[in-house]
Amino acid sequence: MTSAAQFSPATSSFWNDTGKSGITSWVFSTDHKRIGLLYLYSVLTFFLIAVSLGALLRIELMAPGRTIMGPQTYNAVFTVHGVLMIFLFIIPGFPGAFGNLIMPIQIGARDVAFPRLNLFSWWLYIAGAAIIVTSLFTGGGPPDTGWTFYVPFSERTGTNVSLAVFGVFIVGFSSILTGVNFVTTIHRLRAEGMRWGRLPLFVWSVYATAWVQILATPILGITLVLILAERVLGTGLFDPTKGGDPLMYQHLFWIYSHPAVYIMILPGMGVISDIIPVFARKPIFGYKMIAFSSLAIAGAGSLVWGHHMFTSGMSDNAVLIFSFLTFVVAIPSAIKVFNWVSTLYRGSISLEAPMLFALSFILLFSIGGLAGLILGAAATDIHVHDTQFVVGHFHYVIFGGAGFAFFGAMHYWLPKFYGRRYHERTAVIAWALLFVGFNITYFSMMVLGMEGMPRRYYDYLPEFAPLNLVSTIGSWIMISGLILMMVNLFRGLFRGEAIGQNPWGGATLEWSVPTPPPTENFIEEPVVTHGPYDFKGAGIP
Amino acid sequence: MYPNPLTTTQAVDPVFKFILGVCIVLLVGITLTMIAFVIRYHRSRSPEPTSQASGNVWLETVWIAFPTVLVLAMFWFGWEGYLSLRNVPKNALKVTATARQWSWSFTYDNGKTSSKLYVPVGKPVLVNLVSLDVLHGFYLPAFRVKHDVVPNMKNHVWFVAEKSGSYDLFCSVYCGTGHSGMITSVEAVPPAQFETWLNQRGGAEHAGKELLEKHGCLGCHTLDGTPKVGPTLKDIWGRSVTVLTNGKERTITVDDRYLRRSILEPKADLVKGYPPVMPSFKGQITDDDIKTIINFLHAGGEAAPKPDGAKLAREKGCLACHSLDGSSGVGPTFKGLYQKRLTVLQNGIRMTITADDTYLRESILKPKAKIVEGFQPVMPDFSDLKTDEVQALVEFIEGVK
Repeated sequence: MTSAAQFSPATSSFWNDTGKSGITSWVFSTDHKRIGLLYLYSVLTFFLIAVSLGALLRIELMAPGRTIMGPQTYNAVFTVHGVLMIFLFIIPGFPGAFGNLIMPIQIGARDVAFPRLNLFSWWLYIAGAAIIVTSLFTGGGPPDTGWTFYVPFSERTGTNVSLAVFGVFIVGFSSILTGVNFVTTIHRLRAEGMRWGRLPLFVWSVYATAWVQILATPILGITLVLILAERVLGTGLFDPTKGGDPLMYQHLFWIYSHPAVYIMILPGMGVISDIIPVFARKPIFGYKMIAFSSLAIAGAGSLVWGHHMFTSGMSDNAVLIFSFLTFVVAIPSAIKVFNWVSTLYRGSISLEAPMLFALSFILLFSIGGLAGLILGAAATDIHVHDTQFVVGHFHYVIFGGAGFAFFGAMHYWLPKFYGRRYHERTAVIAWALLFVGFNITYFSMMVLGMEGMPRRYYDYLPEFAPLNLVSTIGSWIMISGLILMMVNLFRGLFRGEAIGQNPWGGATLEWSVPTPPPTENFIEEPVVTHGPYDFKGAGIP
Repeated sequence: MYPNPLTTTQAVDPVFKFILGVCIVLLVGITLTMIAFVIRYHRSRSPEPTSQASGNVWLETVWIAFPTVLVLAMFWFGWEGYLSLRNVPKNALKVTATARQWSWSFTYDNGKTSSKLYVPVGKPVLVNLVSLDVLHGFYLPAFRVKHDVVPNMKNHVWFVAEKSGSYDLFCSVYCGTGHSGMITSVEAVPPAQFETWLNQRGGAEHAGKELLEKHGCLGCHTLDGTPKVGPTLKDIWGRSVTVLTNGKERTITVDDRYLRRSILEPKADLVKGYPPVMPSFKGQITDDDIKTIINFLHAGGEAAPKPDGAKLAREKGCLACHSLDGSSGVGPTFKGLYQKRLTVLQNGIRMTITADDTYLRESILKPKAKIVEGFQPVMPDFSDLKTDEVQALVEFIEGVK
């Protein structure tokens, strides 16, 4: 906010400086910022649809018995909620939207290494999304398997599973190509003086994420093709009546889908590591440990998938090893939390919207992560596995973690690209509603799980009724906060107060370019002389 | 090496309390520190940062070491508790739980079946888990035990009920439309009462049949006419069969002499088309028992009691989706169904039919042929039911007025 008064938005920026306009200048653009915004609009569209489906699920669960829909509809709605949220929002969301918008500028590059491949990735995403949407309205109707597509049920159900998994397969390619693009960009296109030790922590997290995308996603691709083969050709790889093994499917699925959780959360940790120093006016505490722990999480996190299978019938030795490795992954996450909190010590803290989202991220991610310890221990997992406890834990980590970081990133970075900003006090009210509603909704679920209510339940016994009602009321508070946040944010971006080049006083490179940035980002090729959180070195008062 | 604690609950709950306790202490610590910093160093009180510290090797070493020790402790306690869940006490009572879409059925060693899991208080119970179709999950929240039920895979759980009472038993792995209705209960009763219940019989059964069960004959030879590993015993007496005697085919008529010889020297006259796998029962069965069995076989299957439709409806899980009281479930209610006019969809074409014997029989064997309007085509087909069982079910449904 320091320089807002004496600044008017640049007249020439990536919005108009190519001289092209109209829809084709966007959907065929190779500019990483335009592609980033295309991703942003696409993922937010699917996010809002999936939120609405989630709200319907909560209304159905408000009271025992039928409330607004039948069991088959309910099963389809929770499946589609999961598929849209995971495969079309949170996995492509961070790399696609903020990875594209921010990462090239933060390393001092004009664009990503392969701009046309970048555009192709977005088109693949849209093609896959179109196929998934088509699968809801054709064939046997929307899939009713849950987003995990567990066999042999997914082989036998008459719903449109084949087309849906094909769509997810296509979206997977988009993710792999984005990963390849980003790893190459970070290795090859850093500006002069941008040593590895000067990379912003968001870039480090995008880098770790990109490796997971490259290495893990192909396994999901293969697994989904095998489901198709099972359904269409009856190959019998997973079907026990044909000599197949359902547990093999579960291993293949989670070899991707557990690391995928880190694709969702790592960039969120990166965002938080960038926001906190700026709003505390202090260098991040333990830069090297945070950067290293991102890589450690990406590496060790690829070896813990079996903790989804403690009750599956997998051998006890496998349970021993996977439980051990799961606890090992907890260590780098704990290090990050301690470092973030220490950064606040003796700082000068300003509680604006991005900072509120960042601080609530720490709390919600801690609750989700600590609940994860109960799931990681073999004895306690047996009781809470496949219950509402897992649903609560997962939403704490992915919505309270990755989701809140995504909202924080929207408040922190989007004004930079639009040249205008949202109304601050409204943003704080929206955050408060979201935060309170969130905890009511999902904490109730964790308690329900400890009491023994299984997940994916359309109906439940009367003993679970009170907390389900509480959870549903919480979801209404949360959604009102969400609507207020979106309206305030986008109204502000198009019509709000104009902002200057560096409204928050950040020391990373994106704050050294005009607002909004020009198509080639930098007017002169940058030479980096200081670290990402060296505010004195960047000349920020 | 790892002595069993008394119950599965006692194996899990201390681990739960330990991890939960540590988590709460950590969470409260982190939150309070964060709030204290935010208040103390808020820009209104602290307009400029008073430190530019970017790290501290000593501090960071401490907070790598500290969580490492904590999580390794959690891992170890969790593992020890898990081992207790896996080590089944030697004296456990064995029961087989059979899961199908969407019902449970429990079979005891003496052949008794039940749709609720009756167990004696204070005695460990070993439950072997069998699935007839897709994945299911056997979950007893009160005893902290859960295990997936996987087709063609031998899984088990054990637990012990300390107090008598009724405990919820859920399906924990999503299995389709009726998943949330796949609920039954564990009924823990005093041991004496359990023995009485276990030995109560549906009707007076022939002693010969009990002997066939006792010796495991029925694992390979059925009483209903279907061939299994060996030929069926239905109407076997007086039947004309082709047998192989020392590799030569000959046709004989089954009489007392032949039956006795087949029990004691099964490979002497082997019925053509069956593998020579039956063990000899010489020395394992008394002469009196053989006589009782042969007497039973004289009656030729008539002694097999007529199936009980109400019991079948319960055990095969019909009642999980079809109510008896007129309320609508996953499927239409049985109440007043017989002779009712129904609008059904056949290959997508709407038509009106009367729910008569033929329709009810078809709906059990091929449920997707005609779907009552307003319901989902989700009922699995029960074509593995025997003819007389289907008839019994149809008669039962006709009786629900």
